[in-house]
Amino acid sequence: MLNNNLLLLILIPLAVSFLNIFLPTIIRKILVFATLVVTSVITVNLFNANNETFTLFSNTVLSLDKMSYFALAGIQLLSFIILIFSLKGVEKNIEKQFFALYPLTLAFSNGVVLSENSFSFLIFWGMSGLTLYLFSLLGKTKDSPQTAKKTFIIIGGSDAFLIMGLALVWFLNSGNSWSLLSTNIPLVDGLSYTAFFLFLIAAFSKAGGFPFHTWIPDYSKDSPIESVALLPASLDKLLGIYLLARMFTTIFEINVIINLIIVTLGALTIIIAVMMAMIQHNGRKLLGYHAVSQVGYMIMGIGSGSVLAFAGGLFHMINNTIYKSNLFLTLGSVEKRTGTSDLDKLGGLGKVMPFTFIMALIGALSISGIPPFNGFFSKWMIYQGIIEKTATLSAGYQIWMIICLVLAIFGSALTLASFMKFIHAIYLGKYQKRFSTIKKAPVNQILSTGLLSLLCIIFGIWAIKIPLNNFILPALQDSGLSSPQFIGTYNPQLMIILFGLAFITGIIIFLFTKKIKLDENYLGGMDSEERFRVLGTEFYNEVKEMTPLNTLYKWAEKKYFDIYNISTKFTISTAKLLQKAHPGQLQLYLLYIVVGLLIFFIVSLK
Amino acid sequence: MILPLFIIIPLLSAFLIAIVSGKKDNFANGLSIISALLLLFGAIYNFITQNQEVIIYKIGNWDAPIGINLVQDSLTIFMLIIVGLISLTSLIYSRQYIRYISTDWKYYSLFMFLITGMNGVIITGDLFNLYVFMEIALLSTYALVAYGGKAEEFEASFKYAIMGIVSSTFILVGIAITYSATSTLTLAKIAEQIPHINTKIVYLVGGIFLMGFGLKAAIIPFHTWLPDAHSSAPAPISAMLSGVMIKVLGIYAIIRIFYNIFGAPEFFLNIFMILGVISILIAGFLAITQWDMKRLLAYSSISQIGYILLGLGIGSTLGILGAVFHIFNHAIFKSLLFYNAGSVEMTTETRDLKKMGNLKKLMPVTSKTSMIASLAISGIPPFNGFFSKLIIIIAAIQSGHPILAALAVIGSIQTLAALLKVQRFGFHSENKTEVTENKTSFGMKFAMITLAFLCFAGAILIIPGIREVTLDPIVEVIKNNGEYMNMVLGR
Repeated sequence: MLNNNLLLLILIPLAVSFLNIFLPTIIRKILVFATLVVTSVITVNLFNANNETFTLFSNTVLSLDKMSYFALAGIQLLSFIILIFSLKGVEKNIEKQFFALYPLTLAFSNGVVLSENSFSFLIFWGMSGLTLYLFSLLGKTKDSPQTAKKTFIIIGGSDAFLIMGLALVWFLNSGNSWSLLSTNIPLVDGLSYTAFFLFLIAAFSKAGGFPFHTWIPDYSKDSPIESVALLPASLDKLLGIYLLARMFTTIFEINVIINLIIVTLGALTIIIAVMMAMIQHNGRKLLGYHAVSQVGYMIMGIGSGSVLAFAGGLFHMINNTIYKSNLFLTLGSVEKRTGTSDLDKLGGLGKVMPFTFIMALIGALSISGIPPFNGFFSKWMIYQGIIEKTATLSAGYQIWMIICLVLAIFGSALTLASFMKFIHAIYLGKYQKRFSTIKKAPVNQILSTGLLSLLCIIFGIWAIKIPLNNFILPALQDSGLSSPQFIGTYNPQLMIILFGLAFITGIIIFLFTKKIKLDENYLGGMDSEERFRVLGTEFYNEVKEMTPLNTLYKWAEKKYFDIYNISTKFTISTAKLLQKAHPGQLQLYLLYIVVGLLIFFIVSLK
Repeated sequence: MILPLFIIIPLLSAFLIAIVSGKKDNFANGLSIISALLLLFGAIYNFITQNQEVIIYKIGNWDAPIGINLVQDSLTIFMLIIVGLISLTSLIYSRQYIRYISTDWKYYSLFMFLITGMNGVIITGDLFNLYVFMEIALLSTYALVAYGGKAEEFEASFKYAIMGIVSSTFILVGIAITYSATSTLTLAKIAEQIPHINTKIVYLVGGIFLMGFGLKAAIIPFHTWLPDAHSSAPAPISAMLSGVMIKVLGIYAIIRIFYNIFGAPEFFLNIFMILGVISILIAGFLAITQWDMKRLLAYSSISQIGYILLGLGIGSTLGILGAVFHIFNHAIFKSLLFYNAGSVEMTTETRDLKKMGNLKKLMPVTSKTSMIASLAISGIPPFNGFFSKLIIIIAAIQSGHPILAALAVIGSIQTLAALLKVQRFGFHSENKTEVTENKTSFGMKFAMITLAFLCFAGAILIIPGIREVTLDPIVEVIKNNGEYMNMVLGR
């Protein structure tokens, strides 16, 4: 039993996490590092494995196909790189818990993607949500207890829906097997649609799809930054989108209406979250909203029903984990040095933290979909796939699909706009004297973000050669999808040359027409003061003032659109009504008893 | 251990405590812990040696119609173990906790009467005898709820007593009607007669018993006494009431009467399902908005009883399995939560969640164990509560009730929200309490850690090999409801 590779991927981190409860911090770090080395080696060895399974009580509990392998590899890779970042710099008073929770998260995430059996899937899924809650309790801000509660009510609540969804699938599958890989439930009646949407709630809550995304910005703001990079930015995306991909391949048989609904939800996720991101003043929250917005592309890709877009969705999932954790981690480096993530207070840090600046820039360019970085290619695949799918639809559906596509592209432009603000607010702008004592980020942090940036470039330039051919296309094949046909041309080398040429031309023009004189800023003949600095956060104030956006923003700030808030309000008002029925009067209570008895007799007479 | 000992040991210790202990409670506490230990080990011993068989003890060797039978099957042993376990931890917990209210022996004597009553209800094979033991248990709890001696406690106890007496009177009327229809009070004999009597009488008696025992189990709309009584009682007593008593006097009696005697008529099962779901939802809403920690827990008890009732009402093997497992799980985590509430109340002298604060640092054991219990009751894996809720939801879908399953799912989210509120405001809140001394003693910590461990370990009962010897025989007893009659009557 203990020589089963799949089981080891779960048991080793689990055992280490248990051991770590008793060990001193330094040994905890070493053990976690060793664990990740071991699990990564096992994962690499499993690359060519066929039919690895683990059986318990004559049920196949764990199994590995190319789809789960893709997610598994993503989990090891991201956990490893984020661990490098965490080795030095986690806040001292939470360090101990952090390194006990880290392997625990790894174990449960591995468990989710390896599970073939519904029960084990459910258990690991629930426990990975639990580690999220435990991480968020480590937060030190004033709001963190509230955020922890909100996060776990959404995540834990979605688990409860997932229980029902899995039970329904089992029931619709005539109670035969609890395997997740061979159901193919056709969406025909109320029950099957219910099951589908229950699954969708679980996947959306985990990954952060509209309208179950509202925990992510809060979590990003209030929890330890390493855990933000690890969970909502990386592992939760992998798990949520993994489930979504499974839903669309092996669990359900999808029809066109569902495709349209999901694509619409994806487009809404993109546009709503990016609009919110534009107006944020807190760097973490801004990134949190982008973490939501990017999920929209994955949802669109996977939900559209085109194989090309599906592959793009999966590719975007891994790309997003890479550049988003990169962005969070660079912000983490800045925050650890300056003590704040408030964009109004930062600025001009490019000079003192040049490496961090470059990494953040690469991350920002990737997320905005600038070639040749990875984010461009996956978005490009999704767009192409959706266009391809649209061509096969009837006219009314076509218009609908095109609107969603336009929204998505518009969202991409807004992302770029928002990251101009982000980069300007932190790294550019006027150099502030109070930051003169700031040192560069520690080596481990630069190494970690550097690796991520490198991956952004590699996955962009050799997209087809490395991630697509080795991981994503086999995953599609294993799930019974045909190979995607690329319609447009994409040649990264050509792209780089073109972009390079454009850049060089720009520099040449700049050099030839250079008539700029650099000087200190003066204001009315005086040295300009701190308060006259151009803040990045002010870039899009106009957007905030536009009607009808201003009203919408106001409502959003009052959390009128937050599903958590809406259900809280509903619960409280219902409970108030019920509370009125419990005034503490004995006579009334006795009346209830009598009425209850009477109702019973009336019913029983029939 | 022979069956009468389960009644004699606590009864004897109750009187012995009253006679021997002087002004101090050392002896009383020691003796009561020893007898609770004996009861627990006796029950476990019987589980190991006799779980698969039915044991009949004829008092004075008189046969059924004349003498009173004591009956032991796997359901009996299961309930005896729960009573033994929770009363043992409660007594260990009480040693320090009750001294903070008063230091005399009366508490322990009453506690022993409570155990006597509950054990009696569990092992008796006679309807009227069941009633008598039930009254013993109830009378001692009327006193125990008011043990703190504050005005609100007396009020709660008074309400509880009035409602308890009303329902007991109804039960007595039901017993009288049953006797007039069947000419016997032995449960097995009644079961034998049931097919031959008019169904209208069955419905009449059923309705009366449903109300009577439903009130003991705190099923909505008969629940109104519970939030007051369970929140006013001293914490270990709250744990006994919420963890054990509503299940013994309520659910256990309902199982015996409606399943083993009436043979689980479809009509009653449907009523159980509906009342179960109503209890889950309404109590769920009410729990979320409470600010009194113990009151919140009390409302959540009603909603958890709803799950048990739903599982029983579904009536399939899976449904009953879920219900039985949930009885055990709820006993553990709800008692633990009340212990936590008690130790918080002792330290901060308040039950108001708004006035508590960052207790995570001050009370690490209480904080961690309450986290475990909260997660367990909310149905988060890998704790025991997850599995019982999972089974109940699957059972509801399997039996073709997806809407009930959906409502149960919503109830589960309500529970999560309510308990996370306790975590957030009680233990992880940003405001700091002024209290600097943690008054939780070793005994209290021991009780909490034991139950927290069981929240983990309880989950193994569901593993196939273990389930077959632990939970499955109980499900058999409830499912094959005619078997009880045949076994007891020796056929």
